[in-house]
Amino acid sequence: MRWLTAVTSRLSRWAMYIACACLAGLLCIVVYGVVMRYVFNDAPPYVEQVALLLVISVAMFGAAAGVRDAGHIGLDSLVAMLSPKLRFWCDIAVQVLSVAFGVALLAGSVEMGLSTYASTIPTLGLSEAFRYLPVLLGGILFAVFSIEHLIARFAGTEVVRSWH
Amino acid sequence: MALTVLCLGFVVLLLLGVPVAIAIGLACLATFAVEGLPFETAIQMMVSGMNVFSFLAIPFFIFSGELMLHGGIADKIVNFARSLVGHWKGGLGLANVVASTLFGGVSGSPVADTSAMGGVMIPIMKREGYSAAYAVNVTTHASLSGALMPTSHNMIIYAFAAQAATGMIDGTAIRGVSIGDLMFAGLVPVFWIMVCMLVAAYWQAASHGYPRSVDGRSMVQRFPGWSAVLGAFIASLPGLGVILIILVCVMKGITTATEAAAIAVTYSLLLTVVVYRTMTRVNLMKSLARASKTTGVILLLIGVSNMLRYQMAYLEIPDAIEAALLTATTTPWVMLLYINIIQIILGIFLDMAAHILITTPLFLPLAIQMHVGPVQFGMMLLLNCALGLVHPPVGTVQFVGCAIGNISIGEATKTAWPYYLAILTAIMLVTYVPVFSTWLPSLITGHPVL
Amino acid sequence: RTFRSADVHAKDFPTNVAVVAMGAELSKATGGKDTIKVFGDSSLGSEKDTVEQVKIGALDMVRVSSASFHGIVPESLIPSLPFLFRDIEHFRKTMYGPQGDKILAAFDKAGFVGLAFYESGARSMYAKKPIKTLADIKGLKVRVQPSDLMVSLVSALGASPTPMPYAEVYTGLKTGLIDAAENNYPSFDESKHYEAAPVYSETMHVMTPEVLVFSKKVWDTLTKQEQAAIRTAAHNSIATYVKLWEPREKDARAAVVKAGAKIVPAAEIDRKSFIAAEKPVWDKFATTPQLKALVSEIVDAK
Ligand code: NA
Ligand code: NA
Repeated sequence: MRWLTAVTSRLSRWAMYIACACLAGLLCIVVYGVVMRYVFNDAPPYVEQVALLLVISVAMFGAAAGVRDAGHIGLDSLVAMLSPKLRFWCDIAVQVLSVAFGVALLAGSVEMGLSTYASTIPTLGLSEAFRYLPVLLGGILFAVFSIEHLIARFAGTEVVRSWH
Repeated sequence: MALTVLCLGFVVLLLLGVPVAIAIGLACLATFAVEGLPFETAIQMMVSGMNVFSFLAIPFFIFSGELMLHGGIADKIVNFARSLVGHWKGGLGLANVVASTLFGGVSGSPVADTSAMGGVMIPIMKREGYSAAYAVNVTTHASLSGALMPTSHNMIIYAFAAQAATGMIDGTAIRGVSIGDLMFAGLVPVFWIMVCMLVAAYWQAASHGYPRSVDGRSMVQRFPGWSAVLGAFIASLPGLGVILIILVCVMKGITTATEAAAIAVTYSLLLTVVVYRTMTRVNLMKSLARASKTTGVILLLIGVSNMLRYQMAYLEIPDAIEAALLTATTTPWVMLLYINIIQIILGIFLDMAAHILITTPLFLPLAIQMHVGPVQFGMMLLLNCALGLVHPPVGTVQFVGCAIGNISIGEATKTAWPYYLAILTAIMLVTYVPVFSTWLPSLITGHPVL
Repeated sequence: RTFRSADVHAKDFPTNVAVVAMGAELSKATGGKDTIKVFGDSSLGSEKDTVEQVKIGALDMVRVSSASFHGIVPESLIPSLPFLFRDIEHFRKTMYGPQGDKILAAFDKAGFVGLAFYESGARSMYAKKPIKTLADIKGLKVRVQPSDLMVSLVSALGASPTPMPYAEVYTGLKTGLIDAAENNYPSFDESKHYEAAPVYSETMHVMTPEVLVFSKKVWDTLTKQEQAAIRTAAHNSIATYVKLWEPREKDARAAVVKAGAKIVPAAEIDRKSFIAAEKPVWDKFATTPQLKALVSEIVDAK
């Protein structure tokens, strides 16, 4: 358990760093596009596509960090009314389902990546498959963080947030 | 069969406590399996739902809201509002309404607004003799204005959801909705809500005798004088300037509405880091990290909602719902009432982003048939969604407010009805009086907005 | 079985009506065995999404702009080359004929079955002022779709290509964020861009067609007779489509004139120098000997 926490807390911190870097990059590239167009009458054509790749990275890494820190919105008022034992098993089910979702993201993005590999993103010349890379990594993180929660539940411990 | 799996799957997962985004995603994946559809299509729809150029504004508006929140802008707005109305009966309540409405314009997000205003005002109000429930309700409901302001990322989501809208209203062809037209449609409704909220807050304070100290004495603060009001106003102006910046950027042809969000972030950064020097490095990192995480949570919801939208279109559900409603009535005002009721009920369960993406394709075509344009319908939808934010059991804004005020959801809900009423009057006005939401954007953009 | 076909246009748009008619014919030809259900209004996703779904086999058929295939099938770029077609007769003769069939056949190796092209009229420039010569367009910010070809096309004319989402074009033209945009008459009418950019100069710089595509994954599970029936029905739908499209284009032109737009007719455009300016774009996108041969075949068609 301890080595797992060491790995996942580091993973989640790195996910957060990547998401923050992508958000900062997103800001820079969009402002750069505005300045180039407005001041120099020379709009860089690739801004839109780069920005789209960055925003999906912010989203997937941010969402993954949200899984570890239990940041996603859910309905817990009904589960709260159950007996502690039932509540425990509901919680286990939630974590198992989250693992399943992560695996589905992973598998689906691999499939999509393979089927769109030969197409190119306009104005970038990059393969369309790159669009699915953040989803693939996000899927892995979703699964890993949910497994950590699962183990923590059985061990009777809490997952300590790696950032606030 | 597929429909049963979709609906039942979603409800069971939700009740089990699975996060909403994952519940929608898994219910859709199960339906894909039942339908025998390749499940990677689900992932494709999720990614394409998130990969929309106008959605770039979402991280930017959220980031700018966080910067304003952690950069000390909130205090200046509170000071102004307190000096203006703080000396009236229930003065802090009234000040809270004004400040929450103003900061709603700065942040464009009811949740950010509640954390900012609630964080400052609720403790002060509790200390100075207001009940916690009163403090929480005033903050959370006045914060809903944020969803209708030009800085609102929910408006961006709506503009995207409405882009396929077509139809004819009074000889004018409708083709989607432009963000530029939408941006200023909410200001009149927001002003109306603020006035109603002021009345409600005053009335509730008067009937409970707030503020009341422990020994029962009434305590009202003194008017600081007009020069103090002016000073506080000037101090809060740069923060409020973010709305002006967006207006100027779009109207002067400097940026698109989407890019204006990036300019709003740049402005917030300059303001808090360079001008006020209130932004510490730690707070800057915190704002960046919180914005990333919130972006992730919201965009994931948007992605899975697109999955769901695809699934519903594939099963031809929108057509069925449209047919059912048209059999029920063809009278415009009754139809609009039905749409409002259904949306308020859906708002109880769904989060705002999911709510907008799922209900827009269902109801907008009907609304257009009933001569309600996409901008007016957007305001109606956003208000209905906003009401869902302060409604148990899944009321994100109410949840944040109660956490700050340290009271239970039930305790807050008990005395919230005057504020619900305030929002409901706004919903009715938006629904049945088109000019209420279309007059100002028509004036600003110079072409008729429907 | 019922084949699902996707489209981004509304139910009454010519492309959708043509595909519905194609379904009716297919149903008759197969004795009610096969038919087509059209999902319009982008309800199954954007053009890009639905093309990918057709490739996976999640969707049987799709009608999209052939521009959606520019990054997938190099041959699909050819009919989008600037000033390739002299006029609409030239377009019909080639794209509804052997050259069009050759391009459709090229979809096969990318995992698609190309069924038919539909014309989409000519795209022309519109701005606040007339665009008759290269000098008129020099330095203008022209809105383009995010496409390498359109970026090159506009740059070659000496203008500044500005990618922007369609929904923001109206405000962009109005506020001066962009100076010009380009589209065909029906879109110029529906989008009401004429309110912000009232001068439509018939540059007719590109005639990118619509294309009807079937999923190869699904196609390979069909019998020879079914495949033949689909091909015939698709080919016959062209006539249905053109019969609907022509009046639509004409009505749109009349509508924008009535609404106050000014039209600079094709005769007043300095087409020669425009064509000369676009030559490098042809060389940039028709790179292989096969593509070059196909281009000359179209150009030489009388
Ligand atoms: Na915002
Ligand atoms: Na709710």
